[in-house]
Amino acid sequence: MKDINSGKELVNKVKNILKNYDFEIIALEGKSELTRFAESYIHQNVAETDLNLTVKVVNEDRISAVEMNSIDDHTISENIEKAIEIVKITPKLDYHYRLLTPQLYRIKSKFSEQTANFTPINRAQLVNQLIEEVNRRGYEAAGAFKTEATTLLVANSEGVFAFDRGTKVDFNCVITRDNSTAHASFIDSDINNFNINKITDELLETALKNVEQIDIEPGVYTVILSPEAVAHILSYTGYSAFNGKMIMEGKSFVCHNRSKKIFPETITVSDDPFDKLTMPLPFDLVGYPREKIYLIKNGVIKDGVYDHLTALKYNRKCTGNTLPPEQASFGALPFNLVMKEGDSSFEEMISSTKKGIYISRLHYVNVLNPMSVQLTGMTRDGTFLIEDGKLLRAIKNMRFNTSVVDMLKAVDMISKEQQTKSGFVGPVVAPYLRTNNFTFSSKTKF
Amino acid sequence: MKEILKDILDYLELKVNYADLRFVQSEEESIQAENGILSSYNVSTNRGVGIRVLVNGAWGFAASNELDKQSLLKTTNKALDIAQASALTKKEEIGLASEDKHIATYITPVTKDPFKISHSEKIDLLVTSTKVMLKDRVKKSEGSLSFYKTHKIFLSTEGSEIEQTIFESGGGITAYAIGEGDFQKRSYPSSFGGDYSTSGYEFIEEMKLLENAERVAEEANQLLVAPSSPTGIRDIVLGGSQLALQVHESCGHPVELDRVLGKEISYAGGSFLTPDKLNNFTYGSPEVTIVADATVPGGLGTFGYDDEGVPAAKTYLVNKGKFVGYLTSREDAFKLGLKSNGAARAENWNRIPLVRMTNINLLPGNLELDELIGDIKEGLYLDYNKSWSIDDKRLNFQFGTEVAREIKNGKLGRLYKNAVYQGITPEFWKSCDGITHKKYWKVWGVPNCGKGQPEQVMHVAHGTSPARFRKVKVGASK
Repeated sequence: MKDINSGKELVNKVKNILKNYDFEIIALEGKSELTRFAESYIHQNVAETDLNLTVKVVNEDRISAVEMNSIDDHTISENIEKAIEIVKITPKLDYHYRLLTPQLYRIKSKFSEQTANFTPINRAQLVNQLIEEVNRRGYEAAGAFKTEATTLLVANSEGVFAFDRGTKVDFNCVITRDNSTAHASFIDSDINNFNINKITDELLETALKNVEQIDIEPGVYTVILSPEAVAHILSYTGYSAFNGKMIMEGKSFVCHNRSKKIFPETITVSDDPFDKLTMPLPFDLVGYPREKIYLIKNGVIKDGVYDHLTALKYNRKCTGNTLPPEQASFGALPFNLVMKEGDSSFEEMISSTKKGIYISRLHYVNVLNPMSVQLTGMTRDGTFLIEDGKLLRAIKNMRFNTSVVDMLKAVDMISKEQQTKSGFVGPVVAPYLRTNNFTFSSKTKF
Repeated sequence: MKEILKDILDYLELKVNYADLRFVQSEEESIQAENGILSSYNVSTNRGVGIRVLVNGAWGFAASNELDKQSLLKTTNKALDIAQASALTKKEEIGLASEDKHIATYITPVTKDPFKISHSEKIDLLVTSTKVMLKDRVKKSEGSLSFYKTHKIFLSTEGSEIEQTIFESGGGITAYAIGEGDFQKRSYPSSFGGDYSTSGYEFIEEMKLLENAERVAEEANQLLVAPSSPTGIRDIVLGGSQLALQVHESCGHPVELDRVLGKEISYAGGSFLTPDKLNNFTYGSPEVTIVADATVPGGLGTFGYDDEGVPAAKTYLVNKGKFVGYLTSREDAFKLGLKSNGAARAENWNRIPLVRMTNINLLPGNLELDELIGDIKEGLYLDYNKSWSIDDKRLNFQFGTEVAREIKNGKLGRLYKNAVYQGITPEFWKSCDGITHKKYWKVWGVPNCGKGQPEQVMHVAHGTSPARFRKVKVGASK
């Protein structure tokens, strides 16, 4: 599936086998390479090429799906026969399943030839550069450096044909020396935007401050969250609160709070493929064009995101957030979360904080109560006490049990700077955030 | 396929210190129903080859779904190139713990091949079970079944030649009672997808999903109107299903030797069980003995050989409270001068083997359940996981459970919802003063253990029977 024509050939191949049935297909072909290092050497260095074809067969509101990773004629027809056999005996859905009609797409993924052709040696050289620099300062480095190129085709028997190519660079690193640690991450479409020197400096700056951590007591604190931490919290919030299926089932905070102004005017969160800092997908996994959807606008709860099936079942509008068939029962997730920037600088946020805590990174976040969006998790790799406007001391890692609703209600500063960080589907664009209501429930000895 | 793989091995023989080739071909069926309606029936097939080479003491790995000889030679050369790149940061040559050559086959014993059971029978079970659950405030019910058949061929330059066929079956049901501003769920036989086993369809029949559907729905209804769990310090009993996840997070992960050596530190974290603690650290009370046992019949982490060709083994991790063993791969075992205990597992052909859990089992004690509960004045019986989180050294954990039952003067009492409990791993296990008898012991399949970059989801299991822990901090989610 090297180009649009080979995508069309694949669709025709499926069409010829499924003459009497409607169908949807998703084909994802990719080359993905990853270099992983720890204790300052490369301990894992991998590459894969694969192609996954999913064919969903639709027969009068009956559906089955088959997935395969080989597209020779025999494999395709053998697998599709299985799907036909199943779809003949499955009971009907309790709603009418309509296929999407052809659409226009306004955006494309970003594709960088240099990223697609980045070699293991290229990655190893950059990793080596970072290792040598942090070793000089007495630190060990561990992390992962991925480059990948993918081609995505979504089509159906109604004539939808959506074809896209994209590239991705995904890097993360932790450096350690005794109890001193720091973390940095990078995600982008283009290797040319990757600056190993900047990342090395960032790591060392945090690590050199993150020493001789002190204990503080759990409780409610003013907290400044890094973009990394904000992105982590937004991802879980999108997953637990803004999934349209959970909203329609009465299992989300949003279902009883739509159109209510709950948060400060400054809080706006959207699923926005057009944001200049995100990495967009032009369409979802049935071919709906991606669009900008407000989840929270100027403090008002708007609505969630909807997949094709949930939209059909509950007579809602699909927002272009359909997941692949094997994840369809989950509902929908925001693909490109964006939290709107504020007007503060990070330095102003710190200098205006009398007493608070700065959190660089969160670890093992999970949902405690979806109806209040109460999350739990740990801090790691740099948590600092702020007193009288200064980052004073590093503190030991803490567990938080905090409601995102309460946390956002108490936001009083948002940075102008936003950063792009990893999310559940696409990346999350997040600023620094200051809140006066963040609950820590216990501490650690490290 | 095997002949092509042998040709590739011949090609590699003089170019590498070591190489292994893994061909994996899998079939999967995944069926889901909601509210008495079939929502999806997905089948998949997948196949490919992973080629791992050790050249001049550095690793390379490449994998492809293109299986003709020409394509595989290209993939092989890619693996060799990658090993050259890895050598750029080499500090010392990677060594492997010695392992015998094995020529063997292994097939999961099954009574009923799940792929030969009719589609209609599977659909009927889920549709009926999820319909039965729709009572009173249960407005949402879910049921799922999954079946896997995985055929693997492993060849290595050390002469091993191993073929395995692993069958896995599993499933479960969940009822959601939904009220104004609250919902509560009850799962059966376990949360997050149910229970799984290396077995055939007989495992699904033994779960008796339909027979339990009405009871589970009733418990969800009761939970919705139950008060929130009390907070404070309590003695607790953990039911088998929750205890399985407790073992998973606070013992299974911290004994993974690659994690201990720092290989996961940037992502999933490290471990408090550093090498200086091996045979020199009190992990729990004398009641606590935990083993890794990949030979347990039906365990989801049961196989013949791991993905480095090491035979399935039983290893003590914690013996009467003392920390005595790690889960290892050949590479990591070599670093500590050990032999591998067969815990290097790969999710599929396109992933390298990492140190993974097999069946990590808390061995049973000798108490009756009545005796366990009977010795508690004021406490809680907690079961069925609802949320989980643990720090990057695997010390500070917090779990939420679907169900909490009051224990008052040795008797089970009222139902509470939204219970959570917190602890620090060794302190928690040291507070264990009673484990129930073998007749309460069961192996719970966990099909969603995540680790590594690129991420690999592994199927593992935990044998547990209800156990008692003293003076634990409990609370309620809000």
